[in-house]
Amino acid sequence: MMVFLKRITKIAWQGISRNKGLSFQVFFIMAIAVFALSSLFIFRDFSLFLIEQVKKKVDVSIYFKKNVAEEQILLVKNEVAKLSKEIESVDYVSEEKAKEIFIERHKNDQLYLSALEEVGDNPFLPSLEVKAKSPLFYAQISQFISEGPFRDLVARISYSENKKVIDRLYRLTSDIQKAGVVFIVFLAGLVFLINFNTIKLTIFAYRDEISTMRLVGAPSWFIRGPFLIQGVIYGLASILVIDIFFGLVSVFLSPDFQEWFFGFDFQNYFYGKFWLILFIQIISVLILGVVSSLLAVRKYLKI
Amino acid sequence: MISFENISKIYYMRSHPVCALNNISFKIEENEFVSIIGKSGAGKTTLIKLLIGEEKPTEGDIFFMGHRVNEMDSSEIQWLRREVGVVYQDYKLLSSMTVRENVEYVMQVIGASDKDISRDVPQILDLVGLKERQENFPAELSGGEKQRLAVARALCHRPKVIVADEPTGNLDLYNTFEVIELLKKIHSLGTTVILATHNKDIVDNLKERVITLEEGRLINDQKKGRFIL
Repeated sequence: MMVFLKRITKIAWQGISRNKGLSFQVFFIMAIAVFALSSLFIFRDFSLFLIEQVKKKVDVSIYFKKNVAEEQILLVKNEVAKLSKEIESVDYVSEEKAKEIFIERHKNDQLYLSALEEVGDNPFLPSLEVKAKSPLFYAQISQFISEGPFRDLVARISYSENKKVIDRLYRLTSDIQKAGVVFIVFLAGLVFLINFNTIKLTIFAYRDEISTMRLVGAPSWFIRGPFLIQGVIYGLASILVIDIFFGLVSVFLSPDFQEWFFGFDFQNYFYGKFWLILFIQIISVLILGVVSSLLAVRKYLKI
Repeated sequence: MISFENISKIYYMRSHPVCALNNISFKIEENEFVSIIGKSGAGKTTLIKLLIGEEKPTEGDIFFMGHRVNEMDSSEIQWLRREVGVVYQDYKLLSSMTVRENVEYVMQVIGASDKDISRDVPQILDLVGLKERQENFPAELSGGEKQRLAVARALCHRPKVIVADEPTGNLDLYNTFEVIELLKKIHSLGTTVILATHNKDIVDNLKERVITLEEGRLINDQKKGRFIL
């Protein structure tokens, strides 16, 4: 077995080193394939990150009437928190806290601060800020408050004001996810086809040699073997080059990336998911290189 | 050793049947030197393709050392091809490998050890006069050298039979003589040789068995034959 492996590896390496132009073309296409598939994976995670970021910006605020006691509000808080596992957080914002937030937010805007002074009294209502895991759940929270036992304590709920935005956001995020899957499947298919055809053309160039190998009695695996090993070599070389590229990008461009892509920390992400990305890359090149070679050689082994 | 029994081969060209071989029967014994002669299209190459399992007969049976060739599966066919060394008119060399690697490849195919390969290959290349060209690629060789390499490749694994299909078709007189001398030498060492040719001089000088084909039919089979077409 070792002798067999040594021999087919030697033949595979000779094939690469003696046809540098052709080998470079296959390597180049394979590297593009690895880059595209890795980017698709990163893109998928980036879009999930983006969706999470947008979701975080959406919440529902329940404003209570002026005279409602803090204990009662905290009771409502507990009830809302118990409503479902879908509730991510429920934060109580007192009148004073609301005023502080307003002052902090508009500290550079004298007009707002003067207006607040004009009013004199604290015009803010105590509130609960509810965050749910899915935007879809806000309607349920809103219904629970407006139709439940606490409805008399509540002045207004921001959900009805934000309903359109929340619904659109939900549709948008689920559309992005669906489109992402379609896009990834389409692009992965395209990458496979381009790669398969490149390998097919390379093996087509060897068709006469393959038939000669058959005519001198070479077993199928002695003929397939070098092509499979070449596929693996091209694939591993492509992974190495592309991962070095991603590594350099993560080191030198990560701060810029964070600025351009809404705080997406590429360096942290790449290092954190390196082994998973590498695993996906290896599986991809095995499918691309080995399966393509197997399918392409099969045709010429029928002699 | 080899037996063709009532072999017919019909090809279909645009759905019209063309009979390449018509009810052919003959036997070849061990250590024979057999020339198969006939005009172009007489069926010589078809006969060789049937013998090495490259084609299947339409009718009849072919036996090689007791094995029915036309019923062999893919791995048995590959075994058969390792037992029969073939020299082609168009050489069929591995163009991406050097002279030495072409011969080594066949020895690797039969599972020879590295030690045997490094011992035998230089000897074989010396025998065919290509020792000095062993690091050259086939494209860098002359027609005669290519054919000698094809012979070296066919005999390196010591097959029981060597089949040469028009091996001198592309060669000048000098190289033709060299290749035939080589085949005679291989035969004298105990290997069965089947030579398909339409070269009258070669056949007449060999004074060995001659099978004559005409339009797919066997018309003559003589022990010490001559070119009669």
